[in-house]
Amino acid sequence: MKRILKYFTIRLLLTIPMIFILLTLIFFVLRVMPADPVKSMLGAHAPERVIEQKRKELGLDKPILAQYVDYLKQLARFDLGKSMIMEQKVITPIKDKLPATLELIIFGLIIALVLGVFLGAYGANNRGTGKDTTIRLYGLIVFCIPAYWMGLMLQLIFGIWFDWLPIAGRTSSRVLVAEFNNTGFYLIDTLIAGNIPAFLDVLAHLVLPALTLALILSGIFVRLTRANMLDVLNNDYILAARARGISEKKVVYKHALKNTMVPILTMLGMQFALLIANAVLTESTFSWPGMANLLVKRIHLRDYPTVQAIIILIAVMVSLSSLIVDLVYAWIDPRVEY
Amino acid sequence: MKYVFRVLFILVLVLMFIAVGCKSKTKSKDMLVYGTTESVTDLDPAEAYDFHTWEILYNVYEGLMTYKPGTAELQKGLAESYSINDKGDKYTFKLKEGIKFTDGTLFTAESVKWSIDRVMRLESDPGWLVTDFVESVDVVDKYKVRFNLKQPCGFFLKLVATVPYYPVNPNVFPADKIVTNPSELKGGKLTGLGAYQMMSFKRDEEILLKANPNYYGKTNIDRIVINYFKDPTTMRLAFEKGELDLVYKQLNPNDIDDLLKKDEYNSYKIPSPFIRFLCFETSESVMKNKKARQAVAAMIDREEICKKVFINQAKPLYSMVPIGMFSHKDYFKTEIGNANIEFANKRLKELGYSKNNPLEFELWYTPSHYGDTEVNMAEVLKNQIEKSELIKVVPKSAEWSTYLDNFDRKNMAAFLLGWYPDYIDPDNYTAAFAGTTGSAGQGIYFSDPQYDKLFMEEKTSVDQEKRKEIFEKIQKLWTEDVPTAPIFQGSLFVFTKENITGVKIGTAMTFYYKELKYK
Repeated sequence: MKRILKYFTIRLLLTIPMIFILLTLIFFVLRVMPADPVKSMLGAHAPERVIEQKRKELGLDKPILAQYVDYLKQLARFDLGKSMIMEQKVITPIKDKLPATLELIIFGLIIALVLGVFLGAYGANNRGTGKDTTIRLYGLIVFCIPAYWMGLMLQLIFGIWFDWLPIAGRTSSRVLVAEFNNTGFYLIDTLIAGNIPAFLDVLAHLVLPALTLALILSGIFVRLTRANMLDVLNNDYILAARARGISEKKVVYKHALKNTMVPILTMLGMQFALLIANAVLTESTFSWPGMANLLVKRIHLRDYPTVQAIIILIAVMVSLSSLIVDLVYAWIDPRVEY
Repeated sequence: MKYVFRVLFILVLVLMFIAVGCKSKTKSKDMLVYGTTESVTDLDPAEAYDFHTWEILYNVYEGLMTYKPGTAELQKGLAESYSINDKGDKYTFKLKEGIKFTDGTLFTAESVKWSIDRVMRLESDPGWLVTDFVESVDVVDKYKVRFNLKQPCGFFLKLVATVPYYPVNPNVFPADKIVTNPSELKGGKLTGLGAYQMMSFKRDEEILLKANPNYYGKTNIDRIVINYFKDPTTMRLAFEKGELDLVYKQLNPNDIDDLLKKDEYNSYKIPSPFIRFLCFETSESVMKNKKARQAVAAMIDREEICKKVFINQAKPLYSMVPIGMFSHKDYFKTEIGNANIEFANKRLKELGYSKNNPLEFELWYTPSHYGDTEVNMAEVLKNQIEKSELIKVVPKSAEWSTYLDNFDRKNMAAFLLGWYPDYIDPDNYTAAFAGTTGSAGQGIYFSDPQYDKLFMEEKTSVDQEKRKEIFEKIQKLWTEDVPTAPIFQGSLFVFTKENITGVKIGTAMTFYYKELKYK
């Protein structure tokens, strides 16, 4: 336990310089980009006096290094700052949009894992057969398809041709968010409100965007699971299990599968960044009102503090996910030591 | 492990199938769902400066003056009557009595003064609509308020009909802070003296409006839900699937064309005050010579743009003053012409340009600010202008925030711009681009004392005939100096389900939801 705690602390401390480097890069990149956030905020009509006053108020009149020092001081106080575009703290829109993105990512990840691991294991178990070839081909194809194209195809097939599923947004137009919005996680909110029709509507809206993310990620999991499973299936203990007369299904799905999970979990942690990147495209395709859409919008408006805050948050999320994965190793594989 | 996966897999599948089978079909006549691709900025009459936010505020608040639904005709709103002094620099409004805000606060002259003082104090973007004209506001008595203007103004009543002049509740709004989200207000809801109150607001997703019980007039539909879409085609699909009752702003031209062919929907084509034009940086760039500007303006084939890019859903425009507005004259057609290559080449040769030494300039556009059609429009325009062998065009694009920044840098010799007016008057379509101050703010930097004098005369005159003469003169001069070249005037399209009527959108883009009703 002590070792885990030490490892956890070291890993946590290591994320600090990583985030520091990242926020420094973002800070300077944003400021050398063309466009003036004050003009974006006040518009072309604003008198020069008001523009100058606002620039002073936001600290944009200072040299860039002084602005950087101010920003670090502000962060040290755990203050992400105020939006330059709207009269609000940057945390307000983030709090508003983060649940939508998390809901999408979590749901997508679950589907990707279930689908990828199951197909990978099934392919390995049927090595060399037509089924295996089909699964390998599937893994390759879905991994190569760009998220926006996958999204468009799913919209076309399931949303338009079959008319089974909604193609955009988080709810239908006639399901009033105002009636249940509480945490921002609509699946949970609708259940808390006991509004089952709204819950099912939210779920229906989640299917296609989550599936888009999931299909792409499942390709990686299929290939990884299959490859690891093939290695594991050649081990002596599998031979021993078979020799003891344990059924093939049990050998594969109980004994072998658990031992393929360590590399899959490593990959899961590493894929979190890819998941976020794909979420940007998925949110755009499905008009999903999440963080990625907020980020794109605020980049266009040169809202420096909001963009910085979102990127820091994403970096923290990626670091934490990787840390959690490391900790889960111990549970999956007792041989792992810290 | 196997068990966990099996349960998860089955659970996900079951939930998906249930979800597939359960699409919401609830419909009732006390609610109307309206879809749009617009977005809301700050929900504060002192700060909002875009047509969609104004449209919502038109319905939540009301002005002393308003527009008669579906027209450009001004009518009294919260004012019972008004009077103007002989000089035209003092406007006194007698207010309707007994009107209350939702919290019971009585609407009086004090509320008007407090609201105007707040706008003047905050100095926000649309604040100039007040501060450029109003010196002070006096409370004459409980129900009488007087606006003292800096100078006489011939269109002040039109200004009073704009959102920054709308009275807000002094007990709800902060005096020295802009409100972005209604949750920041006392009571957490956006309520005013208009027909509806905003019950909830989820940015980029949904707005729920409910009929205001304290409203002095009448509403037909109890709840209006506004749904926000990122993509026009998705919005069209939602409308065709029956999820939306009404769609307005901004469908793609192809989607509009398709919907117009379908009999099951009501369609409304509304002449829009929105105009598009080509601007020139007139102080430092290659376009500082007016003959070069004239040549480029002459090469524009407006009819082809309207046909090719907008499937005839826009009208060619030959003046900065829109079609249908008083004083409008098609001078660009009569003086310069449409796709007039001879005129253009003559001007260019006078400047010494030739095939080997063509006029070369960058044509700037912004790829998303004016919708998906902008790239096509820039491409078509480039091809039209390059039909003259004496011109070479280099297309360049920048996102809106960079575009605004470029105004200051003066690095855009020619650039496409669009204009939704602040108030429906030729002044707003001309002085903003050829007046010395306005022009610099738009990246044009045109300055001519003759124009400034004419603008001052028309602004301060209350004689509409005299103003008409001045604007006709300005339009004629425009073809000589060409600070901008008009291209087209937009049209707005609203589609509703067959059982919905009452869509009345005025020239000032005033869309009053209280007029909507089910058959």
